[in-house]
Amino acid sequence: MLFNSGIFLQFFAAFLLFYWLVRDSLKARNLLIVASSYLFYGWWNWKFLGLLFFSSAFDWSVGHALARLQAPRDRKALLAGSILVNLGILGFFKYYNFFATSLAELFGRLGVPFHTGTLNVILPVGISFYTFQSMSYAFDVYRGHLQPTRNFVNFLAFVSFFPHLVAGPIQRVSQLLPQFERTLVVTRTMLEEGIWLMIWGMFKKVVIGDSVAPLVEMVFHDEPPGAAAVVLGTVAFGLQIYCDFSGYSDLARGLARVLGFDIMWNFDLPYFATSLREFWRRWHISLSTWLRDYLYISLGGNRRGPARACVNVFLTMLLGGLWHGAAWNFVLWGAWHGAGLVAERIFSGDQAAPKSALPLRRIAGWLATMLIVFYGWLLFRARSWHQVAALTTALANPSAPPWLGAFAFTLAVFAVPLVAMEVWQFRAKNRLAPLSLAGWARALLQGALLVGIMIFWTREKATFIYFQF
Amino acid sequence: MKSHAVEFTPRELLRLVVPPLVPVVLFTLVMQTGARFGLLPAPRPALDADRAIIVHQAESSRARSDAEVVLLGDSSCLMDVNARQLGEALGQRALNLGTISYLDLGAHARLLREFTQANPGHPRVVVLLMNPAALRHPGSEPYPLAVLTHFLAGNDHHRLDTFAGRFNAFSGVDAFQSRLQSRALPTPFTDSFGRFYGFTTGLERFMSEHNGSAVDPGTNAAKGNAEYRLSPTLETLSREFRAAVPAGTKLLIGITPVPAKFSGPNYPALRNQMLRDWSVWLQADAALLELPATLLDEQMAGATHLKPAAIPAYTESLAAAVRTHMK
Repeated sequence: MLFNSGIFLQFFAAFLLFYWLVRDSLKARNLLIVASSYLFYGWWNWKFLGLLFFSSAFDWSVGHALARLQAPRDRKALLAGSILVNLGILGFFKYYNFFATSLAELFGRLGVPFHTGTLNVILPVGISFYTFQSMSYAFDVYRGHLQPTRNFVNFLAFVSFFPHLVAGPIQRVSQLLPQFERTLVVTRTMLEEGIWLMIWGMFKKVVIGDSVAPLVEMVFHDEPPGAAAVVLGTVAFGLQIYCDFSGYSDLARGLARVLGFDIMWNFDLPYFATSLREFWRRWHISLSTWLRDYLYISLGGNRRGPARACVNVFLTMLLGGLWHGAAWNFVLWGAWHGAGLVAERIFSGDQAAPKSALPLRRIAGWLATMLIVFYGWLLFRARSWHQVAALTTALANPSAPPWLGAFAFTLAVFAVPLVAMEVWQFRAKNRLAPLSLAGWARALLQGALLVGIMIFWTREKATFIYFQF
Repeated sequence: MKSHAVEFTPRELLRLVVPPLVPVVLFTLVMQTGARFGLLPAPRPALDADRAIIVHQAESSRARSDAEVVLLGDSSCLMDVNARQLGEALGQRALNLGTISYLDLGAHARLLREFTQANPGHPRVVVLLMNPAALRHPGSEPYPLAVLTHFLAGNDHHRLDTFAGRFNAFSGVDAFQSRLQSRALPTPFTDSFGRFYGFTTGLERFMSEHNGSAVDPGTNAAKGNAEYRLSPTLETLSREFRAAVPAGTKLLIGITPVPAKFSGPNYPALRNQMLRDWSVWLQADAALLELPATLLDEQMAGATHLKPAAIPAYTESLAAAVRTHMK
């Protein structure tokens, strides 16, 4: 079920009631969370509850087995087996048809007949997120970062916790799992933060993200209009994906907060980044840190010299792109960012521009970063090689469609609230800057956002973009 | 072990939850009061393609006009004929008041009455064009009919059949959207409409520039049921429409073309018979049998509309047919 739906509001209201009723029992709370989270997930398709359960049970078992094994070779083999099984499941559901079709095309071009057949495989919602989260448990036990949890229900709750189940943030075991094993305290501050994040997150998704989505559709097709429209359309997509995803992440953190949980921030004003490295420290933080800790470092990180570090960065981003979807444009997007990061390493060294750097240098860095990031969004959103080529070629087309003025106006209307809020947060160096307002001012702001949500809460629900990953 | 403990009082909780609702309540009061006492602009719910078409045509029907030829009918009337070209060919201004397929002859009659009240002595000719698919299901869908009726009455239209609809009505969201948002913020279209018109304002501008006509920029293949017939309920609706045609005004009727391959080889003869029978129900002055019953599939955008490239030729054939009966 979608966060921005009537059924979820009813679900959460009922959950809160039961949550209050079980306040005296940790065990009951975690059972409630598991039951509710499975109901939440099963509402989309109950047939994949088994997969969620299997994934959780498998990694929980692997954690215990790893703790029992002593021989490094055996432990390594078990970890490798665990990775194989997890990625095998992910690979089957997400990438089978992609690779089968791509192989067939490749062999076809070489003149070699090749046919594997495609399967009508449904992609389970959230599989990329909960698989990575569950896998990280085995990794952390293997590395000795934590002891395997004895309580299976707690582990089930950790993996399936509904605020973050279908679109992250991908939680670290050491950060979230202990919260299921202790009494939580819900303070007034947490409540304030949670309520703010739920309202702001919902506003970003419902008002901004969903409203600019049709603008993106007007531009991203096989016969795109001229340069100005493609540029604005790409900006619109950058706005859409950011508001959609960060809105969801804020909602997830807000929901968790009011329950007493602390889940990680997933975004930190990414469009203020003045370098690509900084961008990736601010965008989809849970994924980028996961890839850094479990892939980049496993490949050797920067321990084998700068040249190897560049290769590792590129490979990590390439696979990070593939994680987003079974299509070559996502791989291209990953490669684009990988190449950008490598180029940044080569030309700027390992150090980012210091905060004391001249404003001109920081502005130049910001401009260059945004050009790379937004052209990357063009690659990300295009549905085929043909579209990538058509959109890129259209950047040299000076013509403009008659609706360009209305397009720019509409985009500006929805961009202004986001820009205003984020400039405020950036200058205050505080993502929760609105909480510093006087009570009446904060109520006015939240009320205005609620009115906006009411007005743009359309009957036809647009899904969250990251549900498809 | 306890699950959780709270470090806030119920009073503190209320202090966090209640104040943000105050602006929401104020918004509701302002919208409801404004709508009730006429402090807000009149409703103009051009918030999607269908409603933009209904609103535009309803406004056109009430506007002062020297049009001598008025076209009425479903979306095939709206999108198969270029009214500006038709008027130039006839030497008399033509106005297209075609709407959408979910409105019936009663709704078209209503638009005609609005036009004749605003423009006494006009028009000389009414051309009623419908697609054969609309003739087998001639009734109106409740929602678009309600949109038209409420707009003509100057009232907000509320969908009270769902919880969301009732909430929007009560909270003032309906009033805000139809009275303020529709005027301040154009609604973007998706798919082919988005690429061609862009926004509701683009569609309305196009219709204004083409004397009420629009085009279907889609390229979908024809699909659906190719079994055409006249629904028995059409007879009653036809009489209702006839009653709206002023005395002295000629009524010409036609059935818009369908794809040749889609409809089959027997269709032209069937179309002619349908047109004759319908003409009797309508007591029409003429049935435009000379209009083509079918066109090549490549000339059609789906089963009911022409592609833009086919419109000039069809409009010319309509002009020739109408000219004959204007003598």
